[in-house]
Amino acid sequence: MMNFLRWIVFCAAAIVLNFPVIVTLITSFKSAREISSNPGFWIKAPTLDNYAQVLQVTDRLNIFAYLFNSLAVSLIGTVLALVLTFPAAYAIARSGYGRKTLLPVIINLRAVPLIIFAIPIYMMFQFVGLLDTRLGLGLILAIVNLPLSLIILVNALSEVPGEIDAAAAMDGANSWQIMRRIMLPICRPALITAFIFGFITAWNEFLFGLMLTTNKAVPMTVGASFFFAASGGGVQWGAASAVMIVGALPPMLIGLMMYRQISGSMTAGAVKG
Amino acid sequence: MVGGSSNIGWKLFLTPLVGFLLLFLGFPVIIDLVYSISKVNFESLRNPVPNGFENYGEVLGDRQFWRASWFSLRFGIITALAQCLLGLCLAVFLSPLIEKRAWLMAPLMLPLMVAPAMVGLMYRLVLHEFVGPVPYYLYMWFGDSPAFLNADNSFWTLVVVETLQWTPFAFLLFYTAYQAISPEIRKAASMDGASAFQILRFIELPLMRPTLLVGFFIRFIDGFRVFDNVYTLTGSGPGGSTASLPIYIYETFFKQGAIGKAIAASIILFLVSFAVLYGLNWLGSREKAVAR
Repeated sequence: MMNFLRWIVFCAAAIVLNFPVIVTLITSFKSAREISSNPGFWIKAPTLDNYAQVLQVTDRLNIFAYLFNSLAVSLIGTVLALVLTFPAAYAIARSGYGRKTLLPVIINLRAVPLIIFAIPIYMMFQFVGLLDTRLGLGLILAIVNLPLSLIILVNALSEVPGEIDAAAAMDGANSWQIMRRIMLPICRPALITAFIFGFITAWNEFLFGLMLTTNKAVPMTVGASFFFAASGGGVQWGAASAVMIVGALPPMLIGLMMYRQISGSMTAGAVKG
Repeated sequence: MVGGSSNIGWKLFLTPLVGFLLLFLGFPVIIDLVYSISKVNFESLRNPVPNGFENYGEVLGDRQFWRASWFSLRFGIITALAQCLLGLCLAVFLSPLIEKRAWLMAPLMLPLMVAPAMVGLMYRLVLHEFVGPVPYYLYMWFGDSPAFLNADNSFWTLVVVETLQWTPFAFLLFYTAYQAISPEIRKAASMDGASAFQILRFIELPLMRPTLLVGFFIRFIDGFRVFDNVYTLTGSGPGGSTASLPIYIYETFFKQGAIGKAIAASIILFLVSFAVLYGLNWLGSREKAVAR
């Protein structure tokens, strides 16, 4: 009996929490006429027209460009964050350097409102010509990714026994070689976790995309909002829904496949911080 | 010293990260500080004229600034409380179901994977008075539907939107903490005749206290600095009623071009965040000390 109640609560929670995605998904399969005549949950005549439209009519709003930009800046931001944090995490885990100052500063960065940095970065980018470039946005997304990346890697490296380093050192390896040849393979699961998590965070980031891009480097989150900027005839809800589903799909799919890894890392930062 | 590395060697490992931080965060902070005490607009970016604390005075004298601060504070506290309460209930109630079937976690975590900006956009559809299913069914069943995004209701609409997206985070955090409580403690208490509610109230909740606090503060900070979903759902409207502090700063910068004022506001925000974080770290270390 109690278990039955639990199933009901579970199903209700799953539906309510995912409600906006469910509604958007349903709407994306309705024709323009049905959207206005039947806002309910049941689709009378499912159609793929909305997807066809946003994928084919790309002269003004190019969804492929937004997707490509999101992919590019997310990869730059995630990989750069890993490249910067892995050696640092190794040094922090083994030598303790930075544990007192650098680590807390970076962890706290996670809680600082990013708008504080957004305006001066905007001006900095204007001076050096990085505004509206994928490289520029990628660099900034790396900052967004630094805290969790560092926490995950420091935790992972701290768990590797020091004897492994000592044994390798005995064989004549220096710290750099130990890190590259031994720690990197050992930490592969943590690196993958940090990568997945960073990729999702970067893909979903909005504020910097909004501020630092206008045209060439617009990511999906910002591009999707363009479909709501009514051009005379009001919002085309079918097309807008299809765009939102396409844009939200990559992180959702990664999340569904990797939820075990991600659930650990999400709370790791919270508790250790 | 492991690996025969010298102190300089270890510092070399930290250099790329530190250099990157100095360039992309340190430099902006300097720009922030200089421009916050200068008269500057988009035309005079390269030669700002110092004007003392005029910008700060302008911000502190701006009714919109205080309105935004009040919005952020209220929004942060209410959404954090709601998320933690809901997350805790779900974690405790669903725990027996999920510990046997880990895959049940996936649908509950899914909202965390969707960009908050997208969620804001999606709710424009969900709540739209002509094409949204929520008003549609409310009309059908009750003959009336509130205007979710008007000045009276938009705050609470946003609270619900934020809460529904981030309750999974609180749930996940509390579920992990709940699972970490050793079964023997529960068994011992129930042998002594404690009811399930008594175990929860007197054993499990006190044991989860540090996690509950951390969860609340994380959710508070994220709610306090909210930008994405509020911006895409309501902008700052109607009439500036849903401008959070970051939205206020963004609009002061982009829409009014008042660079100095926007930066002065962001420095105030920075100082407040810093004070809150400092307080939290202090509280955290005290909490840990007590736990020992």
